[in-house]
Amino acid sequence: MTATATTALIYWRRIPRLGRIILSKLVLIVPQMFGVTLVTFLLVRLLPGDPTRLILGNFATEQSIALYRERLGLDQPLWTQFGIYLSNVLHGDLGSSPFTSNPILTDLSERAPATLELIVYAMALTLILGVGIAVIAVVKSGGMVDIASRIYGLAAGAIPDFWMALLLIFLFFHILGWAPAPFGRIDPMLLTPPTVTGFYTIDSLIARDWHAFWSSAGRLVLPVLTLTIVNAGAMMKMAQTIFGNIYQSEFVRNMRACGLTEGQIIRSALRNSLPPIISLASFIFGFLLGAAVLVETIFSWGGLGQYAVQAVINSDYAALQGFVLVASAFILVVYSIADILYEIVDPRIRI
Amino acid sequence: MGRPAMHRPRPGDTSERPLLDLDRVSVGFADGTTALRSVSCALRANEILGVVGETGAGKSLLARTIVDLLPEGGRIIGGDVRFDGRSIPAMHRKEKARLRGGAIALVGTNAKALLDPVTPVGKQIARVARAHQQIGQRAAYRAAVALLAEVGLTNPAARARAYPHELSGGMAQRVVIAMALIANPKILLADDATLGLDATVQAQVLDMLVRRSRERGLGVMLITHDLGIVRHYCDRVVVMRDGELIEQGEVATLLDRPVKEYSRTMIAAARARPALQAAAEPTAAAALVAVRDLTMHFTSAETAEPIRAVDGISFSIHRGQTLALVGESGSGKTTAGQCIVRLQTATNGRIFFGGDDVTYVPERAFRSMRRRIQMVFQEPYVALNPRWRVADLLAEPFRLLEPMTACERTARVARLLEAVHIDPAFAGRYPHELTAGEQKRIGIARALATDPEFIVFDEPTTALDIRVRAQIIDLIRDLQARRSLTALFITHDLNSVRSLAHEVAVMHLGKIIEHGPTHAIFEAPQHAYTRKLLAAELAIDGRLGH
Amino acid sequence: MRWKDARSFILSRPGVLVGLTLLGLQLAAIMFAPFIAPFSPIDANPIDALQPPNAVHWLGTDELGMDIFSRIVFATRVNLLIGFTAVFGSIAIGVPIGVLIGYYRGWASTLAMRFFDFIQSFPVFVLGMAMVAVMGQEIWSVAIVLALLFVPMFARLVRAEVLSLRERPFIAAARCSGAGDGAIMFRHILPNAMTPVIVQVSISIGMAILLTAGLSFIGAGVRMPAPEWGLMVSSGAQQMILGIWWIALFPGIAIVLSVLSFALLADGARAFFDPRTRHGASGHA
Repeated sequence: MTATATTALIYWRRIPRLGRIILSKLVLIVPQMFGVTLVTFLLVRLLPGDPTRLILGNFATEQSIALYRERLGLDQPLWTQFGIYLSNVLHGDLGSSPFTSNPILTDLSERAPATLELIVYAMALTLILGVGIAVIAVVKSGGMVDIASRIYGLAAGAIPDFWMALLLIFLFFHILGWAPAPFGRIDPMLLTPPTVTGFYTIDSLIARDWHAFWSSAGRLVLPVLTLTIVNAGAMMKMAQTIFGNIYQSEFVRNMRACGLTEGQIIRSALRNSLPPIISLASFIFGFLLGAAVLVETIFSWGGLGQYAVQAVINSDYAALQGFVLVASAFILVVYSIADILYEIVDPRIRI
Repeated sequence: MGRPAMHRPRPGDTSERPLLDLDRVSVGFADGTTALRSVSCALRANEILGVVGETGAGKSLLARTIVDLLPEGGRIIGGDVRFDGRSIPAMHRKEKARLRGGAIALVGTNAKALLDPVTPVGKQIARVARAHQQIGQRAAYRAAVALLAEVGLTNPAARARAYPHELSGGMAQRVVIAMALIANPKILLADDATLGLDATVQAQVLDMLVRRSRERGLGVMLITHDLGIVRHYCDRVVVMRDGELIEQGEVATLLDRPVKEYSRTMIAAARARPALQAAAEPTAAAALVAVRDLTMHFTSAETAEPIRAVDGISFSIHRGQTLALVGESGSGKTTAGQCIVRLQTATNGRIFFGGDDVTYVPERAFRSMRRRIQMVFQEPYVALNPRWRVADLLAEPFRLLEPMTACERTARVARLLEAVHIDPAFAGRYPHELTAGEQKRIGIARALATDPEFIVFDEPTTALDIRVRAQIIDLIRDLQARRSLTALFITHDLNSVRSLAHEVAVMHLGKIIEHGPTHAIFEAPQHAYTRKLLAAELAIDGRLGH
Repeated sequence: MRWKDARSFILSRPGVLVGLTLLGLQLAAIMFAPFIAPFSPIDANPIDALQPPNAVHWLGTDELGMDIFSRIVFATRVNLLIGFTAVFGSIAIGVPIGVLIGYYRGWASTLAMRFFDFIQSFPVFVLGMAMVAVMGQEIWSVAIVLALLFVPMFARLVRAEVLSLRERPFIAAARCSGAGDGAIMFRHILPNAMTPVIVQVSISIGMAILLTAGLSFIGAGVRMPAPEWGLMVSSGAQQMILGIWWIALFPGIAIVLSVLSFALLADGARAFFDPRTRHGASGHA
């Protein structure tokens, strides 16, 4: 190793471990985002359908089409288009959607909180249910929870989420009448609470608007339940395997032989199970973003997912590009945070 | 430094009742098997009891039965275990939890696997302390650090902050022992506590364990398959086989005059095998295998200096001779062996075979030489492809020979199996269907497949039961005699070296620090490290090593 | 692999038996569809629209008057065809890539892994939508898209196994016995690395069926009037709110049973290859 490399290494090791973890992740994000932007751009260019024709309609003349293409910059060479796009993105301009006539960034930021609210609650519930059931099933192995969890695990992975949503709607809305109609995030008669976080539930609590709170919470129940029931199964199966292995490992047996209580042992085993759980949670979180597409469509949620579907159907290049960019950025951030947490939690990893 | 002479039996506790009393204990499993059959023995305070037996004898199970931590499906189906007069199985669940670690402590094998990977070791010990005594966090931590010093860790405060994966095997074992001692137990069950440790480290750890136990007046059960340990540390010994207690008695009496047939066979097998015939006068012919200044460096991401695994060693082996390369883990002996067989490429130095320099011969060209140089690998099971049958495994090296018909191949495989004393019908089996000893022999047979001139044996006798080890040693001696084999033995088992090697080279930290004929090294070692290694060898005959 | 072993294993595990039975039913549906289904799956019959399950139409009819039972039976061909093609295509590409990347450690391997990581960071569903839009909404194009989507996963899986296997002593022993790189990769490492792949095959077929159904539900997959389970649920979706439950219910059950069968087989395969659970022994020592 060269002298400079050695000194660099010495300075690097002086930074506390947490700092090293975060820095190394941050450095990676930039090239990854660049790659995401490039690939998104190229992929979307492959989509068939000419947006110009779609917008201008069947009677457009060749001349107006050419003019419009020039306006959209579609006549330039690919690399130039990318260059323009990249600089726009860095300035926060994702272009405008010819269909909604809005800047895409506006479109996306209007719809993002809806999707986020949905998947954040779904993720939290998935974690609680998945890990909770897994731990009980392992500790009381052979008991009711264990057997039920096995059946659940098997079934949950087989149920399509869109079908589950329909069943839930049919049961709770149509037959039992407990749930509100599946049209949107809040009763259309009510005023949406003033935006603080974008989450209707939190915002209405902050504004002390109880009607809004109950309405938005009520409408969240079915979609969140749909996403949770289907995904908690995967989390539960994996948590059961990992936690089960650790619960039967030698060091747990040693703890028992030293006279520690079962409660302490469970806590310790859970702590040891965290790394793979964190990885899977981040993966599921990213996956939920895609799964939200289906659920949002069924519940008319008005979120990013619905937006993406419309963009594909309309060959709205710019909107689809913007969506994939934002979605990928989001997933990247989630994965990076998960990686950071993973390395914090597992002292065996060297940085 | 010799060890303090503390294996002389001290008068046991004079009270009537033994501290631990196993009364015709039988343990069975849900599938109907009986793993322990009517085992009766007693442990007094201030006494060290050795429990010996081969794999499957039930020794570990015995320890787990005592603290009632039986594996899945196991139950005590007969007899009783009494601690200080009170029956353990009859205790309430909470009482048993208090008993474990508090009155009776268990120390297991492979210490790193016994420790919580994500908690610093000092906290783990403190956790155990607080489970048994009403003390605060800081007091418990201080006690833990103090105990780490007692069990021989240098710089205990820093060690207490370390995670298990940052410690060496010996250090981790001491930590586990500290965890056992922290709550002041009366009985210590040490289940093969030093398995896998280097001989010198093993001696240190056992010395420390026995010393602390004597100081505190503990009753200790030392479970092991190493009769040398029993001879040097134990007062009484118990021999187990297939879940039954075969024989028990005072150490000196039982080891010198065993009564039962099984004990006699085992003890005889544990004695050193006969020494090898003295090497023939060195002939004028050139050595078959020679290395000069062999060096192997590994670059590490962490340090600026490369790791010198092998640091300039030289030796030569003549036809028909066997050289033993001995050393502890980290000495570089395994790496050296791999370099010679070209599984790794040496950084520097020269390797000669049959007079030709083969150091940098490209892999393709070297392949034709492979029929003359073969290697027997260390761990039997992992060296055999689990999805291949024995016949295919043995036939694979045939690709290095002239093509042969299927008939010839089958015949040759059968001959190989006979050469290592295995029934030729085993050719259709898979590795997992063989015992450890048979797997080892298949490994040897595979090395013989091309009728090589030179074989490297990597740890041929490690991790084997006493009788199986004796069989393997006899097999190798047989092969040496019949085929006038030239061989390199890489091992840390000094006792086997005596019977298998003409010359010995001692490696330490990548260098050869002493090299000479076997009898010279054993009887008159020159270097301090060699003497240390020899002193740590625990032979079953009490004479050696002192 | 001993067939006696396999047979006794299957018989002792109810889950595997159920899985095999369901698989058998599906295969029968594929082969004998024209004989089992009483009606044609694509004949629209507006007169008979929206009939609840009755003696003539066992599972009812949809809004175009097509018999639901017949469509479900024929849809088995479409869904399973896509599923099998996607997965086996994916294996054919992904496994050799995984072996090569795992065995050779150079910059090409690292690059390939980064590329796969990258692809997997896109939301799968959206990526699927976009790719189907590019390649067209035919059955075979959906299969190809899914195959490509699964390649990174199989490559990764195999690579992880190869990485750990290549350090094992029996590989070094094979090299001593004269085996070259190719022989080591494909005769020694690959047979040992296939275990997780075999388990994953079952799971992936299930995933492929779900993805196909999901894409078709949105309108980004197979198109009408092709019989496909997801498509059928989609056409029944609007009706569901009005209380017409049979159009969406039955195809959904078909999806569940189909994916379940593969999940059960995957569990069975996993238990079969784990030496601890294979013979049922508790393995105490």
